[in-house]
Amino acid sequence: MILVPVTYKGGVYRHNEIIDLIEDLGGYIVQKHMIAQEVVLQCFVPKEDVELIRAIGKPLAGEVTDSPLVGTEIAIVSMSLEIHHLPHPSCDIAEYVRRLGAKSNMVGMARGVGKRIAGINDEERDVINEHDIAVYLMGNFEHCIEKKMPILLRGIEVPVVVCGGPDKEVLERIVEPKVDGYVGNMGRFMHRTKESEELSRLDEVIEEVTRVLAKKREAIAKDPLSVAPARLMDVIKEKVPAILEVTSPTPLTVQMAGLRVKLPYDTFAGVLKKTEIEDGIMIGDIADIEPSRMRDYIILRVRPFSETNTVI
Amino acid sequence: MQAIEYFEVECPEARGGDNYRQIANDVLLDHNMLRVVHKIHVYIDPKVPIFVAVGILKKVTTVIKVGDIANVNPQEGKFTLAISDETYLAPMLKVFWDKFGKDHVDQPDRFTVILSGISIEARELEEMVITDPSAVLYKDLVYSLRCICPEGFRVRSENYGAEKFSFVASEDLLTDASLALVKEKFALMGETP
Repeated sequence: MILVPVTYKGGVYRHNEIIDLIEDLGGYIVQKHMIAQEVVLQCFVPKEDVELIRAIGKPLAGEVTDSPLVGTEIAIVSMSLEIHHLPHPSCDIAEYVRRLGAKSNMVGMARGVGKRIAGINDEERDVINEHDIAVYLMGNFEHCIEKKMPILLRGIEVPVVVCGGPDKEVLERIVEPKVDGYVGNMGRFMHRTKESEELSRLDEVIEEVTRVLAKKREAIAKDPLSVAPARLMDVIKEKVPAILEVTSPTPLTVQMAGLRVKLPYDTFAGVLKKTEIEDGIMIGDIADIEPSRMRDYIILRVRPFSETNTVI
Repeated sequence: MQAIEYFEVECPEARGGDNYRQIANDVLLDHNMLRVVHKIHVYIDPKVPIFVAVGILKKVTTVIKVGDIANVNPQEGKFTLAISDETYLAPMLKVFWDKFGKDHVDQPDRFTVILSGISIEARELEEMVITDPSAVLYKDLVYSLRCICPEGFRVRSENYGAEKFSFVASEDLLTDASLALVKEKFALMGETP
């Protein structure tokens, strides 16, 4: 069964029927938003059943759209959290990727600014590495980007998309070491992105992120995960009731090859390890349970089939 | 940027220069600096690295009076002020509290202030000075220039006179050569520092 990421948008009225339908079909709800009279469900559903959900949702004013970024956690790396970089363009991009279903986190670097003085510390590096992809938002000068990128990419293991003021071709030439994606004409600016030309550049960022993530998905598919992170999410929701008490908007954040559990590591790592998924297989058997560098959260990294010889 | 007579951004990197022109434009506009800046020349060279902004200011002599931001309606035993511009509401209340005391100043809603039991002519009230914007002009101007300047340029030299200002920033120590740029850039505008 191939699961595809989609977003369902519809009225509150009878939306539980859609939730039941998705769950009955073997899909997973990754996130549910209730905004006034509207419900937005970001979910994974079986590919062959998308049309069925669309048909059943239609009388309820429901709309099903493809959301390639559902089930991904993206780090938007801003060179600082000062007025120079926030809220534009960092928040614009973070908000834009969220619209397509991604969970975006802003990583503001302590010393990302400048040319000679720019640097990355171990905490920043580890936090970025906990994500599926990092989007680096650079400035307008190619000279600076060229000088500081080798430092800022030190130790980064996740795919990276670099956005900067110079053209895409220039970025491809100057950024060392080479990264997975480039978006030009997207440097520092101090106004809201509202003109069509600027919005099309945000679309370019999405395109590039989607392309890079598709490549990552392909790589994962060659050695499939022992369990789908969305399924693991359902299991934890069912068997670790403490997660229901967490007030964070996404107590369980689904990633492409893992899950961020927003429970304290010291108290719950052991509990999660011994939580049974199916047929006596515990979470600890097929996933690494590590402390996250983000607060005291837990990060679960699902091991591939080649390591566990198990697929659930 | 029609309000500014001279506005130039000079940079060895053409694309970077264009983007910085946009940034300078946005920041000056957002911080309401167009009313005070007459001429401005910005020079950035990321290779050195150096950021220089020099300019000429317009004379700002107007003070803000009660009549500028509120309609004063004299009524029996009290004045009702209908606020038309909230920007200076807080300093206005402070002036009223100091002069009349808090017991005589009431603000029933966001846009209404009532002064009761005070002995003052309506004309006199309208002419009462709330604030002098030029007093904080330097702070606002330097803040705007800091926003325009690349954030990593943390070694700064800021100069401000009655009419002229200069702002030099870099990542490294500022040398005589970098400070000499100020004179050079003033000359491009046909001015002397």
